[in-house]
Amino acid sequence: MNETEQIELTLTLDGELVTFTLGETLYEVAQRYGREIPTLCYDPRLEAFGACRLCMVDVQGTRNPVASCTTVAQLDTVVHTESERLARHRRTLLEMVASENGGAVSVDPLRGYASQELGLLIERCDARTDRFAGAHSGTSKLDDANPFILRDYDRCISCYRCVRVCAEQEGDYAISIANRGFQTQIVTEFDHDLRDSACTFCGQCVQTCPTGALADRKALRNA
Amino acid sequence: MSLPADQELIEQWRGEPAPLLPLLHAFHDRDGYLSDHALRLIAPALGIPLADLYGTVTFYHHFARDPRRTQDAPRVCTGPVCRLHGGEELLAALAHEGATAMPCAGRCDDPVPVLRGHEVLIGASPATMTAPPPRLPSPNPGGREECIFAEIRTPDRATLAGYERTGGYAGLTRALDEMTPQAVIRHVRESGLAGRGGAGFPTGVKWRAVADAEGQPKYVICNADEGEPGCFKDRVILDFDPHAVIEGMLIAAYATGARAGFIYLRYEYPQSQVILERAIEEAYAAGYLGEHILDSGFHFDIYIRRGAGAYICGEETALLNSLEGKHPFPRNRPPYPVTHGFEGKPTAVNNVETLAAVPQILRREPSWYQNLGLGDIAGTKIISLSGDVQRPGNYEVPFGLPLQTLLYDWAGGPLPGRTIQAATMAGLSGGFLAGDDLDVTLDEPGVRSKGSFLGAGGIMVFDDRRDMRAVTHNAIAFFAHESCGKCFPCRIGTQRLTERLNGGGPADAAAWHAEVADIAFTMKETSACGLGMAAPAVVESFVRYFPDQVAGKR
Ligand SMILES: Cc1cc2nc3c(=O)[nH]c(=O)nc-3n(C[C@H](O)[C@H](O)[C@H](O)COP(=O)(O)O)c2cc1C
Ligand code: SF4
Ligand code: SF4
Ligand code: FES
Repeated sequence: MNETEQIELTLTLDGELVTFTLGETLYEVAQRYGREIPTLCYDPRLEAFGACRLCMVDVQGTRNPVASCTTVAQLDTVVHTESERLARHRRTLLEMVASENGGAVSVDPLRGYASQELGLLIERCDARTDRFAGAHSGTSKLDDANPFILRDYDRCISCYRCVRVCAEQEGDYAISIANRGFQTQIVTEFDHDLRDSACTFCGQCVQTCPTGALADRKALRNA
Repeated sequence: MSLPADQELIEQWRGEPAPLLPLLHAFHDRDGYLSDHALRLIAPALGIPLADLYGTVTFYHHFARDPRRTQDAPRVCTGPVCRLHGGEELLAALAHEGATAMPCAGRCDDPVPVLRGHEVLIGASPATMTAPPPRLPSPNPGGREECIFAEIRTPDRATLAGYERTGGYAGLTRALDEMTPQAVIRHVRESGLAGRGGAGFPTGVKWRAVADAEGQPKYVICNADEGEPGCFKDRVILDFDPHAVIEGMLIAAYATGARAGFIYLRYEYPQSQVILERAIEEAYAAGYLGEHILDSGFHFDIYIRRGAGAYICGEETALLNSLEGKHPFPRNRPPYPVTHGFEGKPTAVNNVETLAAVPQILRREPSWYQNLGLGDIAGTKIISLSGDVQRPGNYEVPFGLPLQTLLYDWAGGPLPGRTIQAATMAGLSGGFLAGDDLDVTLDEPGVRSKGSFLGAGGIMVFDDRRDMRAVTHNAIAFFAHESCGKCFPCRIGTQRLTERLNGGGPADAAAWHAEVADIAFTMKETSACGLGMAAPAVVESFVRYFPDQVAGKR
């Protein structure tokens, strides 16, 4: 037998033996096998970032759950995508996220392609929107004078998908992250309006935003 | 003398390794703040998108951005110990000078430090502020044999001549003359030395991984960010024994095959920077740094890089991003720095204290270091002890020493008429120990058995006068202030816990407790780095030890 013959890469996913390819993440494997792991900071076009922590899965032999989006699949690991502990974490995380905007999560679907993600997840995971009340994060820039992009950062949950799509997909680097922690805010250079920045109004950020914090002004106008 | 022109500064740094921080500091020092004009020049010079540079600069709290409030505006420590000694009052008294608060600045043995430009002043009121020299550790009160502090009290130890007179560079000489890099790693591994920056990873194992990793060049980084509140040990080592750190880096470089190294120094230690720069200069002049060190084929260069006020930059992967000029979020691991560190190359990141122990160990046999510990754990640990004890300061304790021996016999116990209510562990990251749990030995197994950890070895003591709710609120507010904002559990959780320790959250006690418990549970298990994992400990231990104070003040 040919010694260099490739051994088949397998791991156990929720009790089922499954195959994977070298370099695939646990999230990608699970998705191929029909698991619907919740995510908020994930966009398949972007490098996995590991911010929202909703995609946590249990891996046998590790004390804490791991973020499946940033964890590369390893031979023979035993992975569980659902458990009581995971459900509790996901609920708490979503309830904390909802609290960032005082529990208001439903938005007009015309805002953008991904704008319903947060609302739908909260429903699916049975998360409440009245817990963890406290300060509001993000400050809207509704006065950014441009006809295309509404910047309603009161709804921003700091997933940085907009920043990453702008850099990784468009190469524009028009927006970035100012401050830190709960004070984080999406900004252009020197916090000016988009038209005074490197923004090309391609609208990619609008379409990846999972909360409708960025919205398509044209679509809303024509509605 | 005229000030350097924009272009001079840019040319000075553009070709240097890790140029962003020093270039920002060069403009900051020249102008007193970072102007839009400066950022517009720096961004294209270093190939950083302007929006990214702007965002990154706002991450660092010591960079002034406003010409009306420059780097000369006082920064007053309002850390856990300094607020017991009038930090808040001093801040108010200096308000007319544009003073702002800063977190623990690492002078807990000498409250209250005020940072003004490149000067650290100490005093309880504006009238009495002076710039005293740092405090030497007092002779070991237990008469214990020391490793790191063994020669630190010898006069002139900080100079090359003084260092050489007391055994300095003998470890490096032995390594280069008699040992292969593999033998050095084996020696360090057998000694049992483990990381003193908090995580306790075996140093020899880390070096082995870097030595074995593919990729060139390799790097050694000395982590001198010391941002943990209540920790001021690395500063004392740097101030009184800088050559020990340089020698430790040299030995690490020889063992791992590194050609260059960085010292990442926290902004709050400007005096240490001057001392380090002089020591590095002396070492170059004497042939301990540079090419053909001690006439061997071994070459090594050291660069100092100054931070700018961000606790998270002590986390090794955030530190690497900071050095590389990127937004200082921690990286996802694996891969680890040992294989993918500075600019993606194999890198050994070690704490100041870890590196300072290395020359002592190399001069002797591994068993010598092993046997310094009292129990199963090898060696010694520097404890930065502060707060409500008679003799605060840095103490080198053998692992396994009872905490009570340190508190009462070595440090004189509480102030007259007072009793100890609680002591923090790992600075703030380990939360509080109180009551019977203060009967613990100082080593990781001992402290972990009480649900905490020893970490970097900062211990702050609070006596029976102290309002533990206020202490806890201040502590969790520190973590909220320092959360980088990358991951959801920590970014939101630190904020919500802070609010709940400040009268916020549900009025109903059961609902309040449920919210606090849920936040803490999820932060501990799902945060992306050690900051968010550790932050709930102060709140959880407060709730556990002081239920009356929770109920009374909520
Ligand atoms: C939030 C955070 C802050 C840290 N700060 C420091 C620090 O200031 N100095 C330090 O040496 N290690 C710090 N560490 C630990 C480092 O990540 C790393 O483990 C250490 O520098 C490795 O060196 P050692 O093995 O010699 O301890 C920090 C870790 C975390 C999670
Ligand atoms: S604006 Fe939208 S995409 Fe951007 S960080 Fe906020 S929530 Fe995420
Ligand atoms: S735990 Fe906190 S500090 Fe660490 S990555 Fe997450 S937000 Fe940043
Ligand atoms: S999808 Fe993995 S952390 Fe957000």
